[in-house]
Amino acid sequence: MIEIKNLRKSYNGHEALKGISFAIQKGEFYGLLGPNGAGKTTTISIMSSILKPDSGEVIIDGMNLDTHPGQAKQLIGVVPQEIALYGDLTASENLHFWGGLYGVSNSELKKRSEEVLHLFGFYDRRNDNVKTYSGGMKRRINIAAALLHQPKILFMDEPTVGIDPQSRNLIFEVIEKLHKEGMTIVYTTHYMEEAERFCDRIGIIDNGQIIAEGTLKELKSNSALKEVVVVTYDHANESQLKEISAKWPDSNLSENKISFYATDVQSALSGIISGSGQMGADISNIEIQRTNLETIFLSLTGKQLRD
Amino acid sequence: MIRLALKDLKLFLKDRRSMLMTFAIPIALISLFAFAFGGVGKGNEETKISMQISDLDNTTLSKDAVNIFTTLKNVDAKVVPIESAQDAIKKGKESNVLVIHKGFADSLSDGGELPLELQYDEAKEIEVGLLQQSLIPKVATIPFSLGNPKAMMASRFEKMTENSSPELKENIQHQSDNLFESLSKGIAENSTTQDPSSAFFGNEVKMTKLVAAKKDNGLGLIQAVAGTAVMMLLFSVVGIGMSLLEEKQEGTLKRLLYAPMNPLKILFGKMISANIISIIQLIVMFLFAALVFGLEINNHVTGLLLTIIATAFACSAFGVFLASFAKTRQQVQGLSTLIILVMSAIGGSMIPIFFMPSLMQKAAVLSVNYWSIQGFFDILWRNLSIFSTTFLSRILVLVLIGVILNSLAVFMFKRNILKMS
Ligand SMILES: Nc1ncnc2c1ncn2[C@@H]1O[C@H](COP(=O)(O)OP(=O)(O)OP(=O)(O)O)[C@@H](O)[C@H]1O
Ligand SMILES: [Mg+2]
Repeated sequence: MIEIKNLRKSYNGHEALKGISFAIQKGEFYGLLGPNGAGKTTTISIMSSILKPDSGEVIIDGMNLDTHPGQAKQLIGVVPQEIALYGDLTASENLHFWGGLYGVSNSELKKRSEEVLHLFGFYDRRNDNVKTYSGGMKRRINIAAALLHQPKILFMDEPTVGIDPQSRNLIFEVIEKLHKEGMTIVYTTHYMEEAERFCDRIGIIDNGQIIAEGTLKELKSNSALKEVVVVTYDHANESQLKEISAKWPDSNLSENKISFYATDVQSALSGIISGSGQMGADISNIEIQRTNLETIFLSLTGKQLRD
Repeated sequence: MIRLALKDLKLFLKDRRSMLMTFAIPIALISLFAFAFGGVGKGNEETKISMQISDLDNTTLSKDAVNIFTTLKNVDAKVVPIESAQDAIKKGKESNVLVIHKGFADSLSDGGELPLELQYDEAKEIEVGLLQQSLIPKVATIPFSLGNPKAMMASRFEKMTENSSPELKENIQHQSDNLFESLSKGIAENSTTQDPSSAFFGNEVKMTKLVAAKKDNGLGLIQAVAGTAVMMLLFSVVGIGMSLLEEKQEGTLKRLLYAPMNPLKILFGKMISANIISIIQLIVMFLFAALVFGLEINNHVTGLLLTIIATAFACSAFGVFLASFAKTRQQVQGLSTLIILVMSAIGGSMIPIFFMPSLMQKAAVLSVNYWSIQGFFDILWRNLSIFSTTFLSRILVLVLIGVILNSLAVFMFKRNILKMS
């Protein structure tokens, strides 16, 4: 459905994209996860044809974006990172305006905007000026405005930045609904929870490069990161603990704590507990450190996803 | 409290835009007005009013008179044959001609009324009024400097005392001789141009309207309405133009670009809305002037609308052009205020054009205001037909200004506004 080939883009000498490539299947939910300034927005801007890349190409549904921008744009809905709405127009008016740009007929617009207003839970306030809305509500309309022409592809650039949990959950529900209905979605974020929750596949982007890509599972196994179970023991003597530790191929004893390393702690956990029981050591606490996107990102770049 | 005030002052000093508004613009305007008005009161070199002189008498005395008139302080006089002088007035190139009729020399010698006539264009009566102020006192001194003042005084008193008794006549004649002696002595001793005798003799120039304006409307009212309307229109179109930059800053412009349409449509949309709002604004202003101040527009609807549309077109182009040039809204705000005030000052929105020094009058053509205001004068004051070349040329210039600025806006829009991420 979407094919990105070797995109490069510099802003006055600063290379923001250093050759980005990825492909997205129809109906897939693709996440671009990366810290501030990684190049997410730049990539989305190029994919939505408002920014020309220095080199590389974008194919949308078999059409080259450079040669068929109009047709490709018609398929795409874009939710910009900043709230881009007319504050002095009402929610209804905004939806009509933005939908109208895509050539949706007035009667269709009326029907669809009512649907969308209900979907995002501000039907009651549809006739209020958008500038009177809370930040979370503005975020919701910002998304709603991209849906009126029923795009096959939806680009969402950090759509949940800085909002209340209630709005966030509502947005999540809508996004999941759209995904279920078969929409192809590209979602940028620097929240790893969001990427883990929705994305079929994730591209980790840093410094203008995709540094890892795949399903969450693939990312985990490729990362070769070990997960850790840290067990704290009560009333155990040192030789007991040494024995337990020695039985486990990859472990580490310090005072009354043993760290067990495994590629998948889930399956290792029962063995660790039963092994400790056999030795008669009382467990007072178990701490599990699983591999997640955060630790993967950390291991790949040596820095935190969020500062 | 002082701390708060200090903070405000600090912020103020840092804000270049408010500095511009507070100091640069007033200073620029004061300089402009000083230049524009300064000349009028002082009568210095730059404010010379142009006067044509036609000497039909063609005698030594009349030539001497011409020489006197050419030395008039505020007046730039030139001798022109009567036909071409009148032609120039009819074409609007000149405002007046001073005709020295046949018999001038004779009248001077026998102290009769001087056959002087000032033919003028009524549409330029303010300019002509200024000319009269310098001309009349000079004319009054002519009998003293060229003619036979004694004979003239005598003939005047003769006239005044026509019906009196012979004794009284004699008495007055005698008195007048004495008065003349002392007057001429005074004049000889203190030869100023402002002659005390002028008040007494009241030697007048016959005023003839060569081109009469059919007065539907007062000159001042049209000046007030047209001048203000165009200036305020410029301010409001800049606001519309600036909404383009606002959209850029607010992110809606970017969002518009996501849609499947030619980006230039965004600019064209702004142009269209600017034109519609401008036309409505001008119509409302003229309707207001008609209803409240009795501006007569009923007989001029077509011409007025034509001028309004052309003005709206040129002004909206100006607004959109300015916006397309700038990178941020703040940039436009300061700059546009300065440009509009300067254009309005030189273009006749604030001061009628004919009050200005000739240099500034020439600069006036650089402003949108000039062409527009002249267009309104053509229609509402000069009663020109909408097919007259004078009027059509103003409309043409306005349309050209619009076309050029719009084209530049398109060019700059592609270069500046669309180049964004
Ligand atoms: N218009 C621009 N001019 C110059 N540099 C830019 C411009 N836009 C982006 N950049 C730079 O390009 C790099 C990538 O920016 P981009 O906005 O794509 O990052 P991002 O991943 O979207 O970040 P964020 O999470 O903060 O939105 C950054 O270093 C940024 O400073
Ligand atoms: Mg971004």
